[in-house]
Amino acid sequence: MLIKFNLNGQDVEVETPPARRAVDLLREELNLTGTKEGCGAGECGACTIIVDGTTKLACLLLAAQLEGCRVTTIEGLEHENELTPLQEAFIAGGAIQCGFCTPGMVLTAQALLAKTPLPTEAEIRSAISGNLCRCTGYQKIVESIRLAAHRRAGELQ
Amino acid sequence: MTSTSEIFPIGKAAPRADARAKVTGTEKYAADYYAADQLWAGIKRAGMAHARLLEINLDKARELAGVVAVLTHKDVQGSNRQGVARKDQPVLVDDKIRHAGDAIALVVAENRALLKKALELITFTCEPLPEIFTMAAALAEGAPLLHADHPDGNILLQGRLETGQGAAALKECAIVIESSFALARQEHAYLETECGFAIYQDHKLEIAASTQTPFRDRAEIAEALGLEVENVRVIAPYCGGAFGGKDGITVQTLLGLAALNAPGRAIKMWWEREESFNFGAKRHRAELHYQLGCDRDGTFKALSVEVDFDTGPYDHLGGVVLALGLEHAGGPYRIPHTQIQGRAIYTNNPIGGAFRGFGVPQVAAAMEQMVDMAAVRTGLSPLAIRLKNGVKRGDRNPLGVTLQTSTGLLDCLRQIEQDPLRHEAEKWKAQAPPGKLRGVGIAAVMHGMGYGPTVPDTAHAKLALSREGRFKIYCGVVDMGQGNATTYQQIAGDLLNQDFAHLELILPDTDQTLPSGSSSASRTTYTFGNALIGACEILKKRVCERAADSLMVEDWQEFTLLPGRLRHLPTGREIPLQRLAALLSPDERVVSNRYRAPVNRDQPTANPGLKLHGIPHLIFSYGVHLAAVEIDKLSGNVAVKKYLAVTDCGNLINPQLFEQQMQGGIAQGIGYSLYEDLKVTKGVVQTSNFATYIIPSALDLPEMICKALAQPESSGPFGLKGVGEIAIDAPLPTIANAVSDACGVRCREFPLTAERLLRALKKEEDNAHKI
Amino acid sequence: MKEVFRPRTFSELWQLRRQHENAALYAGGTDLLVQMRAAKINPQTLICLERLAEIGRIEEFNDEIAIGAGVSQHHLLENPTILKYFPVLCQALQALGSPHIRNMATIGGNIMTASPAGDTLPPLYILQAELELRSQKTQRRLPLADFINGPGQTGISPGEILSRIFIPKEPVFAGHYFEKIGLRQALSIAVVSIAALYNISTERKITAIRLAWGSLGPTIVTLPEVETFLIGKTLNPATLNAAATLVEQQVKPISDIRAGADYRRRVAGQLLLRLDQPANYRQTSA
Ligand SMILES: Cc1cc2nc3c(=O)[nH]c(=O)nc-3n(C[C@H](O)[C@H](O)[C@H](O)COP(=O)(O)OP(=O)(O)OC[C@H]3O[C@@H](n4cnc5c(N)ncnc54)[C@H](O)[C@@H]3O)c2cc1C
Ligand code: FES
Ligand code: FES
Repeated sequence: MLIKFNLNGQDVEVETPPARRAVDLLREELNLTGTKEGCGAGECGACTIIVDGTTKLACLLLAAQLEGCRVTTIEGLEHENELTPLQEAFIAGGAIQCGFCTPGMVLTAQALLAKTPLPTEAEIRSAISGNLCRCTGYQKIVESIRLAAHRRAGELQ
Repeated sequence: MTSTSEIFPIGKAAPRADARAKVTGTEKYAADYYAADQLWAGIKRAGMAHARLLEINLDKARELAGVVAVLTHKDVQGSNRQGVARKDQPVLVDDKIRHAGDAIALVVAENRALLKKALELITFTCEPLPEIFTMAAALAEGAPLLHADHPDGNILLQGRLETGQGAAALKECAIVIESSFALARQEHAYLETECGFAIYQDHKLEIAASTQTPFRDRAEIAEALGLEVENVRVIAPYCGGAFGGKDGITVQTLLGLAALNAPGRAIKMWWEREESFNFGAKRHRAELHYQLGCDRDGTFKALSVEVDFDTGPYDHLGGVVLALGLEHAGGPYRIPHTQIQGRAIYTNNPIGGAFRGFGVPQVAAAMEQMVDMAAVRTGLSPLAIRLKNGVKRGDRNPLGVTLQTSTGLLDCLRQIEQDPLRHEAEKWKAQAPPGKLRGVGIAAVMHGMGYGPTVPDTAHAKLALSREGRFKIYCGVVDMGQGNATTYQQIAGDLLNQDFAHLELILPDTDQTLPSGSSSASRTTYTFGNALIGACEILKKRVCERAADSLMVEDWQEFTLLPGRLRHLPTGREIPLQRLAALLSPDERVVSNRYRAPVNRDQPTANPGLKLHGIPHLIFSYGVHLAAVEIDKLSGNVAVKKYLAVTDCGNLINPQLFEQQMQGGIAQGIGYSLYEDLKVTKGVVQTSNFATYIIPSALDLPEMICKALAQPESSGPFGLKGVGEIAIDAPLPTIANAVSDACGVRCREFPLTAERLLRALKKEEDNAHKI
Repeated sequence: MKEVFRPRTFSELWQLRRQHENAALYAGGTDLLVQMRAAKINPQTLICLERLAEIGRIEEFNDEIAIGAGVSQHHLLENPTILKYFPVLCQALQALGSPHIRNMATIGGNIMTASPAGDTLPPLYILQAELELRSQKTQRRLPLADFINGPGQTGISPGEILSRIFIPKEPVFAGHYFEKIGLRQALSIAVVSIAALYNISTERKITAIRLAWGSLGPTIVTLPEVETFLIGKTLNPATLNAAATLVEQQVKPISDIRAGADYRRRVAGQLLLRLDQPANYRQTSA
């Protein structure tokens, strides 16, 4: 099946079996290995991508479902070598250890901040509660998301 | 040594070298290796716990179009054995099946769907053998032996250490506390499951794997498969988490075998989550029995410890886990009379192996609860009893070994005592809302660093000046997420006065970097860091000397390194590193330096097994943790609300990395305390996914405040000691002590699930009614 | 090769179902795709209902609200009408899975999964939800409680889909309470859950109450005797403790990997004590 969708700002067309999981399509056919697989069953959030503005799990989406959608993966955040404030904050705030959960975390946080520019700690924790991280204990991730939100709010003022 | 650099200062939070690639999704983990015409390899597992393999039927699988190879032990040319200390694990079963995860056959296929189908088509016959699922059964008279050739029967390793009058001294103690404890298996649950990518071409086997030990892997692969070591190359990208679970062979040998049988084709193996949970190594289940004797004033006199670890069917690193457990069993206290004995026992359960903490979390869980029970009996506060008995430098530890290096336990205790959070927590406790119980608890721990007296704890640092004038650091030890590679960059940056742009990291690769031991035992930064310091000094001198030659200056010491260049201080003349590099031959631009960590010459035991497995250590880190918990009376659920840890791990090279290690360790420790229980029935794992094996989510963890004493350890690079493991030793007893403080109940089985606690609370309530 | 279809209208759907009689339906896929991965089922044709507009709306009528079966749980949570009338349902949704799961999963999928641990079911039972089932030729409506027969078993007929869920606005309850006891705070399957709707008089007498429990039996458990016992009694710990004992006597939960039967039984009763907390009771009714 020929599937057309917008991937990280670019229109793409791929020929793929329609029941191929989105995570496999991205990783194996489109070479976007930033989308990770940690469980394949919706439990860990490592495969989080943004589809039409909402976070979805690429391990529980079939390729056919992407048809006509606007899809953002971790590779789509950086623009002309410039990181997003959220990515900068993850680096500065020490939110990254092994980094396997990081793409999913960053995209989840990105979607959160798009809707709730200045989230409380409780809102942040609940927003990332579907993304398991085994390395950090989450604290620096939460702090980094807050840092990014505050930096952005500061800029807006 | 103190920091001299302005650009790359030691002691400041430097962003991690790997952060940018990881946050943009471009970092290539072992899981991310693909090739256009790549094959997939997978394992046919036994699925049963104990049997003699008779016949394997491969015909149907082989007939399937798209199946490239179906292999059994008959296809293995080498020893077909793997293991770290005792090589007792077959790569592919050739005789006995000893646990459900044993590999019967290996399949290589064109894609994953075919692979799955082929694996289903393989059948085998076997003769069932009596199974051993408990340690008691393994030790019973006439129990079937897992390894007929092992001289100690079903005991992999045992040890007994005694000081003073040993357990006999308990009789003379005014107060004796006795208790048993049982701790569950813990799963590493790294997000990147076991994986690798291999190719065999031009007589060379190349494997990129998610591993902590590329050099040891190379030797094991070569021996098991009958290859020359130089024909095997292992590349170790950043791990997506490891925590000990990738200390030892996972996919490597089988992947190598697959590649040998499909020359020229790239092959990928990547275990699914269930496969990882079901068949990877676990933290050992442990059963412990403690007796602690003290005077009425709370002075510890005597201790008796018996600890058994369920090591599953293979050694893996079970011997080391036992040895470390024994060494730390008495905690960081002065106890003149001790008898500490333990066994690592073979069973048909999943493999017990390396996991951050290596046996220490289990014994600390028991000892630190014993100490709190002693506090209750003597009327001392938990802090007071620890201050009274805690070790300081020069004291003997419970093994009778004199603590010669920095020993900051008492300072940690005092810092906890004074911390505002402790006072806040006490106030908070008094304000428990209806339906809730609140409590505060502490625990004190120590953790040895390095391999101990026998196995050489060495590292070889290689450093090069590239033709482009950048310094290349060849990391010999894996960064499994703990950020040690960044620390190396920081050390080299500091000593060579270079910025990020002029430093480059080469990750472990047996063809490029030099053997430097495992990424484990809290030794990674200490040992390699010391090796790297030496390498930096050699190379610095060399470039300065050559700069002096080229500018016709007599004294090379008049030169100083600046980012990308050298300056002659008296004249201000500069020479770019790139130009200098052109003057040096490639051989001259490379240096290497070996470092071997000092060992403890004290001999608390003559048992060569225990010495080999690490007893005694020379350098210890210390820590004291405090937790405030809230219990929901209706459900028994425990929530950790506040957490504080004070650690003596020497100086901090990078405070952010220190906090990362601490918070991550505490989080795993909280999971170990409250949720994590890898349940096994008849040798088969029952909790094989994240829905049933519960690790904490962001909503289950509190803010964790982590402070360091920052007192230098003189032998450490820039004064540091290890910090990778100690954080996970303390949370369980800290939380158990807090729970007991809240409700007066002490459970003996862990994790402290809501169900267990509610049952204990109910029992307590029923008893109260009876009285 | 497997096929995947994504009909936009009923007529497209009916046609697809005629052509592919054995096709499996899915909406969010958070249940079906997990089952496929576990090789519990292996359908060759899949029909995804995600774009079927007819089941994707929330409509308000005079005396009831109709929720399209394909509405995602996240959209329900964001909907002011749902929040206004059915706080107990929102509380349950908030505890379901994770944010990502709620973004994908639908309310219809949760009903059709018919799991005893399905978090929307206890609230929907006591809200007395009715289901609308449609096929090309038929349309029927029946109470949810009559539709679910056991774990994964419903009264759906071949060719039918669940199209809408109707929930009456009345009677109005001031007390709405849902709680799930799971093994952690997110991504947890209910060990026990309770949903409650209740009204109390100014003298704190219970004037009306409806209760339902999840994960206590093969389907959602309701205990009319306990409700009858509570009516007319004063809402206080003594009353609730007495009711809790009744609950413990009446339920027969199972033991599984997550918890033992004793624990489930005890907590099922104990959870009633939460109803005494003023925060769970709205002073002004909707
Ligand atoms: C990680 C994870 C966590 C979860 N946590 C929870 C939890 O906490 N609580 C909980 O209750 N559930 C949980 N679930 C289960 C699942 O998410 C829910 O049951 C969800 O509501 C299913 O909705 P769906 O739209 O994704 O269903 P689908 O997977 O799309 O469908 C499920 C079943 O319903 C059928 N179906 C769907 N829509 C219709 C329709 N309109 N008409 C007829 N048949 C239909 C399908 O054929 C299929 O058999 C979890 C799942 C995952 C993966
Ligand atoms: S891989 Fe998709 S949620 Fe874990
Ligand atoms: S950083 Fe390793 S899983 Fe989050």
